[in-house]
Amino acid sequence: MRAAATTSPRYVTRPSLTRAGLVLGGGGVLLLVTLLAAVAVGSVGVGPGDTAAILGRRLLALPIPETWSPAAETIIFELRLPRVLTAMLVGGGLAMAGTVFQALLRNPMADPYIIGTAAGASLGAIIGILAPVLMPALALGAGTAWLGLGMVQALAFAGGIGTVLLVYAVARGNGRVPVVTLLLTGYAVSSVLAAGVALLMFVSGRALGAIFGWLMGSLAGATWQGLAFAVPLMAISFALLLVRWRRLNLLLLGDDQAGHLGVAVEREKLVLTMLATLATSAAVAISGTIGFVGLVVPHLLRLATGPDHRLLLPASIVYGAALLALADLGARLAGGIPVGIVTALLGAPFFIWLLRRSRDLSRVATA
Amino acid sequence: MTLRLRLLLILSILAMCLAACAPAASTSPSAAGTVAASAPAYPVSLTDDAGRSVNLPGLPRRIVSLAPSNTEIVCALGACDRLVGVTDFDDYPAEVSDVAKVVIGAQVDVEKVVDANPQLILAAGNELTPSSVITQLADLGYPVLVLYPESLDELYADIELVGRAIDASTEAVDVVDGMRTRAQAVADAVASAEKPRTFYEVGVFQGTIYTAGADSFLSSLISIAGGDPITGDPRSTAIQLEDLVAADPQLILLGDAAYDESITPASVAARDGWKGMTAVIDGHIVVMAEDPVITRPGPRIIDGLEALAHAIHPELFS
Amino acid sequence: MTVATEALVVARDLVVGFPLPGGERREVLRGVNLTLARGELVALLGTNGSGKTTLLRTFAGTLVPDRGTVMFEGRSVGDWRRQALAQRVAVLPQQVDLPSGFRVAELVAMGRAPHARRLFASTAEDERAIARALLDADAADLADRPAEELSGGERQRLLVAMALAQEPDLLLLDEPTLHLDLAHQVALLGAIRRLRGQRGLTVLAVLHDLNLAAAFAPRVAILDEGRVVADGPPAEVLSPDLVRRVFGVWVDEARTTNGRRHLALREV
Repeated sequence: MRAAATTSPRYVTRPSLTRAGLVLGGGGVLLLVTLLAAVAVGSVGVGPGDTAAILGRRLLALPIPETWSPAAETIIFELRLPRVLTAMLVGGGLAMAGTVFQALLRNPMADPYIIGTAAGASLGAIIGILAPVLMPALALGAGTAWLGLGMVQALAFAGGIGTVLLVYAVARGNGRVPVVTLLLTGYAVSSVLAAGVALLMFVSGRALGAIFGWLMGSLAGATWQGLAFAVPLMAISFALLLVRWRRLNLLLLGDDQAGHLGVAVEREKLVLTMLATLATSAAVAISGTIGFVGLVVPHLLRLATGPDHRLLLPASIVYGAALLALADLGARLAGGIPVGIVTALLGAPFFIWLLRRSRDLSRVATA
Repeated sequence: MTLRLRLLLILSILAMCLAACAPAASTSPSAAGTVAASAPAYPVSLTDDAGRSVNLPGLPRRIVSLAPSNTEIVCALGACDRLVGVTDFDDYPAEVSDVAKVVIGAQVDVEKVVDANPQLILAAGNELTPSSVITQLADLGYPVLVLYPESLDELYADIELVGRAIDASTEAVDVVDGMRTRAQAVADAVASAEKPRTFYEVGVFQGTIYTAGADSFLSSLISIAGGDPITGDPRSTAIQLEDLVAADPQLILLGDAAYDESITPASVAARDGWKGMTAVIDGHIVVMAEDPVITRPGPRIIDGLEALAHAIHPELFS
Repeated sequence: MTVATEALVVARDLVVGFPLPGGERREVLRGVNLTLARGELVALLGTNGSGKTTLLRTFAGTLVPDRGTVMFEGRSVGDWRRQALAQRVAVLPQQVDLPSGFRVAELVAMGRAPHARRLFASTAEDERAIARALLDADAADLADRPAEELSGGERQRLLVAMALAQEPDLLLLDEPTLHLDLAHQVALLGAIRRLRGQRGLTVLAVLHDLNLAAAFAPRVAILDEGRVVADGPPAEVLSPDLVRRVFGVWVDEARTTNGRRHLALREV
């Protein structure tokens, strides 16, 4: 590429197609291998032949004779496959939302939850968990699905979206939402909601276990219905964010310069925030608050692909999906611990490494 | 971020403690299966403690129990050999040690439950079995019976409910009769005795004291055993130290000492603020090694009740 | 210089302020009237805090005036869609956050964003404009360098290239010679004057060096305390008397070898 630049006036103005092909193609292969491995492995052994045959019969309607037990079919098709697909959807959504928030807030420590999504969704979910316990009259209604969702998921989704809208409205002044005000408001509102969460946990009695599991994030309850709810929301968010790569790049130059280059900055910040929050809330509704994926994946990819969102956004979806599916596989093999613990165990050391690395960089810069 | 992590850390400790030993909150949907003295005719429709309607198409020959108390009920009804899945916490009766473990470290392994191919699943209520797991198993088409007794009477009803579910109604009636007789004997023995103000310590975590919640199963057992229970908040089951001092217990029972050898009558007496309590002055502090059966709502809870009565009124049971 | 007739930008009675903590506003521009004809090259001079940057930001639509109007091509700047405006107006700000990880050519390509036609790809026209902007800004040798490695002067050339890649009708330059050594100052201003001749570019440039401004621009406007206090050819406007009144500095008048007037500091 450098050689081309010296011999002709064509300059390298985008990530090379070779690199994009390697990153996305490699990611696609990784995703496929992860899918097959994660469906084939679990606490109950189902042979790879049976696994392939069950998938072939149920997904491709192949006329394969049923030589396996009904239990094996339930485990593969009703438990593992929706769980792996949910992990991929959630991982991709969180990683992409993290990429967007890091660019939008120009803050490398931003994650999808930073301006209140997690606190709001947690409060919503806990209200959903406790409502049947505190008000027995609701217990009968708790099992009924609403838009294919239980009350916990619906309240978590609404809590995430609603909190971000509230934070945004509070942070707004003179028709502008300065990034620092948004961050601080998000932190303040999150603190209030976190206190509410703690209060509810204190009086929750035995529901505390369920609340704790939700807060750590778990994919154990993944179902086809949950996927059917989240897939359309994620698809909208993915599509509308992927085509906004230019505006995300421009926002890295600061609000003023982005405006000089044609971005309607305030409107665009709101649109980007809500699209990323849509994906985050949909993810949280079906999996709880899984941490670190949305923080770590964008940073890892920036090292591999560079900061251009044209490649960074699709890559974060693909690699976030693969990473969370692998983490969940690890969680299942480790005896069913919540996947949030696995991602935190992977993510925290990375976080430390990142801090050390950025310290090295600042030393170089100030030398 | 840091806020969230700190919160999680603190609450995780709480969660593990509470999930393990908090007694019943008082407000879960009330008991229990509609009991009709009918011959077992399948299909049978039952209503469980969560108010759910459960249909059994035929006699369940493969039963999964998701709580030790449920395991004990099934075995007391003579159906121990039908269990195909239990928890890794199950320790009674000894023969269940050979049964496949489908609950490991308080996590229900749904794949293993499915692999056990159960015809009846006995879950625990109030999130002891997470409601998400109950929903998931029910959605997969398994009959899931949720048991959550909050008093002796509700426990009797639950035993009879399980009896109807597994065609052991006769055995259920026998078990319940035996339990009633023993419980009545305890009640009769303490009927005319003084009722000492009794504080049952479930645990102390980060300075917060947990005891029997108001109107909980545990507080009702203390009452039957001839004590006057000092209770905590009905939901968190916590009690403030100053409320405890004001209530001035005449007897302190240490349930947590069954799991932690560092908790002794001497260590409790030495705590700041506890010295003035009548129970401390009089030396009426008793280790309750029977805490596992006192807090496990199965047939052996009568053992726990008798142990409580012995601790509260040693003079009557010498 | 040909006398341009068509007005491109017209500012009328422009008042722009910033909110103070007490709820009042501090007015920075206090009734500015300024018209730029299409193809004109104007240097904007004034003391620190006189409102030069504020005027540029208001022209660019980044700041909204409290009172008065800025018309661009006959339409109020606030009524333009941002993208349509960015196709016509480019800004070289004093301060830009350059994100790390991008190479110079990639950043210059961002200047093409207002003209983007395709969802994910760039067009041949984009590529031509980028190459031309790099050459015009004297930044072609920087194209493959990571932006975070650039010196102050190299950064400035990159930012000029980014603005030129927009192929604007109006170029608003806030201290374009900042961080540049003398040779690069001359090269940059020469390039801008050449582009103005080739493409009819209209330029408003904030400068500090009075002699450089006089050599560069056929017209200078002087801002003092939020008002235009002088506006015209440098030979008429830049008198020792005005410099003393506006800047409070005594200067002497001299002549260069080619007959141009030169202002020399009397003492420091």
